[in-house]
Amino acid sequence: MTWRDVAVLAARGVRRRPGRAVLTVLAVALATALFSALLTVSRTAEVRVLDELAEGGPLAGITVAAAEPDPNQVDRDDADPGEPRNLDDGALAEMAALPDVEEVLPVVAARVAVIPPDPVTLADGTELSLPDDDGGPAGDGNGMLFETVVGVDLGRAGDLPISVLAGRLPQRGSRVEVVATPTWLARFDLDRTDADRMLGVEIQLGPPRSFGDAVRARWTRAEIVGVVAQEAAEAGALLAPFAAVSEARTWTLAGEDDERFGLASSPYSGAFVVARGLDEVASVRNDIHDIGYATRAPENVIASVQRYLRVVEIVLAGIGLIALAIAAMGIGNALLAAVRERRREIGVLKAIGARDRDVLRLFLTEAGVLGLVGGLVGTLLGLGLAALVGVVVNDFLRGEGLAGIELQIPLGIAAASVAGAGLLALVAGGLPARRAARLPAREAVEA
Amino acid sequence: MRRSAPGPDPARAAVPSPDGAGAAIAVRGLTHRYPAPGGDLAVLADVRLDVPPGGYVAVTGPSGAGKSTLLSVLGGLEPLQEGAATVGGIDLARLRGDDLAAYRRATVGFVFQHFGLLEALTAAENVELAGTLAGRRTTARRRRAAELLAAVGLADRADHRPLQLSGGERQRVAIARALANRPRLLLADEPTGNLDEGSATAVIELLERLRRERGCTLLVVTHNRALAARAPRCVALDRGILVS
Repeated sequence: MTWRDVAVLAARGVRRRPGRAVLTVLAVALATALFSALLTVSRTAEVRVLDELAEGGPLAGITVAAAEPDPNQVDRDDADPGEPRNLDDGALAEMAALPDVEEVLPVVAARVAVIPPDPVTLADGTELSLPDDDGGPAGDGNGMLFETVVGVDLGRAGDLPISVLAGRLPQRGSRVEVVATPTWLARFDLDRTDADRMLGVEIQLGPPRSFGDAVRARWTRAEIVGVVAQEAAEAGALLAPFAAVSEARTWTLAGEDDERFGLASSPYSGAFVVARGLDEVASVRNDIHDIGYATRAPENVIASVQRYLRVVEIVLAGIGLIALAIAAMGIGNALLAAVRERRREIGVLKAIGARDRDVLRLFLTEAGVLGLVGGLVGTLLGLGLAALVGVVVNDFLRGEGLAGIELQIPLGIAAASVAGAGLLALVAGGLPARRAARLPAREAVEA
Repeated sequence: MRRSAPGPDPARAAVPSPDGAGAAIAVRGLTHRYPAPGGDLAVLADVRLDVPPGGYVAVTGPSGAGKSTLLSVLGGLEPLQEGAATVGGIDLARLRGDDLAAYRRATVGFVFQHFGLLEALTAAENVELAGTLAGRRTTARRRRAAELLAAVGLADRADHRPLQLSGGERQRVAIARALANRPRLLLADEPTGNLDEGSATAVIELLERLRRERGCTLLVVTHNRALAARAPRCVALDRGILVS
């Protein structure tokens, strides 16, 4: 008897008691749903928490300041930088050549004059003006602001500590798109919960150049296409593509020195270094300190949190496994009942030539079919539940002005849930299948 | 105790026979016991029986006489315990486990009082099942099932499930299934026990016709004297002993 024949017979066997089959599949599906939903939620929560700690960047990310390290703080995750020090291409090349360094991403900053429209019309139609004072630390009191624009390679945004609160990031290389930070929102007395209202606002940007007594700016219009949390642009109100900010900085530097612009002498305002793994962060930080630059990385906090999250994951997986075990017992019970009911049928099968192992295969396949179908339905159900939880959590987080979560669908766990349900069903079906296989052929005439 | 006698290779049991080659039955000193609370109970005692190839024998006797046990042993439903029995030259004493299954598959066709059809399968699929267990290709076994259902007059009921058939029709499907692997020995255990008189006559006539056409040996266990009287030879069992 081929496996195909066995599968067809097993499917017919399952269908002959549809009510029992549906209940058994439902039990497996619910258990698998619980298992996969718990692990998906747990994995998503883990990623979200770690993402928060890593400020949206990779876990093995290290923020390098254009400053010397403070010898008293080198072991701290959030070490304060020492004296300013120029960070140039040579230093970045040295860092890139370090063992265990995967990537070095420079950060550039420029001071620009910004003229928002007056009034600013927000996405929801509300009109706002700059507060009627002297413009605060960044304003000139005439509707013009002086802001720091931070430039990074947005093509590598995934490797940078960037969390999008609303909208999107600018196209790589764009000169007419920028994203705002909470610092920019604060200029209009807005906070992170208002992030999506700022989308679509057009502003004029002009990097200044000093000509001695006169200051001129090269103006461009740019649209605010997104709002990000502060991480990659700590000092800035706006974040823009690297090339645009670099050009703005070059334009300003081509003029005469002007302290009013507050432009640092360092070619790069900082860098973001990605180590090969969390375990390598400490050694890479030490190497960067040796090169002469201050660093910051939440390595110790991440490691501690990871340990706690692992415990949570194990507990949740345990709960899911208990549910699966109960469902497996349900399969075993259903099959035992089927064997009791089908003694004569088993005898007839043997009378017409079925071997013990044919009967064994038949009942194991029935168990496997119940387990796999239940596992598949349950996994899809579990992922759906997790997605639903994700929507609710995202609503809450965004309402609080925080970056939302991205549902982490652990494909490995999903596949393992289906396969595991099938495997557990086979184990649970082992005893009844063996019992069926050992029934004597004489049952055909006795029953 | 099992007595082993030299004979053909048990593997021969797996080789199906062409229609028209009935199996000779030779039984000597066949004794069979079942465990019972007060000690083993002998349900067959020193049975001796010879049936020529293509023969037709009715086995009668009261309940508990050992008729079904004789059928079970000759059909390979359980291993031979004591004595000797050959069917078509196959020594049943040498068959165990898979060899017995192969023997049942290739040499014997069973017809039961309860029909023994799988309710989840159609009539055609029930007939095909015997070919499936024998490892035949799908097209070959479908062709065979169609041919046999036509032979038993049920070509138009091929897609019906057992519950959609009358008792007589179910038994005819069971007969078709019993013939699927061209058995040399057809064993029928009370084949008309659950049928009304008209259906019973139709079924027994069908069995007799198929035996004539296909040449297989036919052994029918029955309580029905009229039915037994139709067979050229009738033997009776009484408390495990062959009395006539």
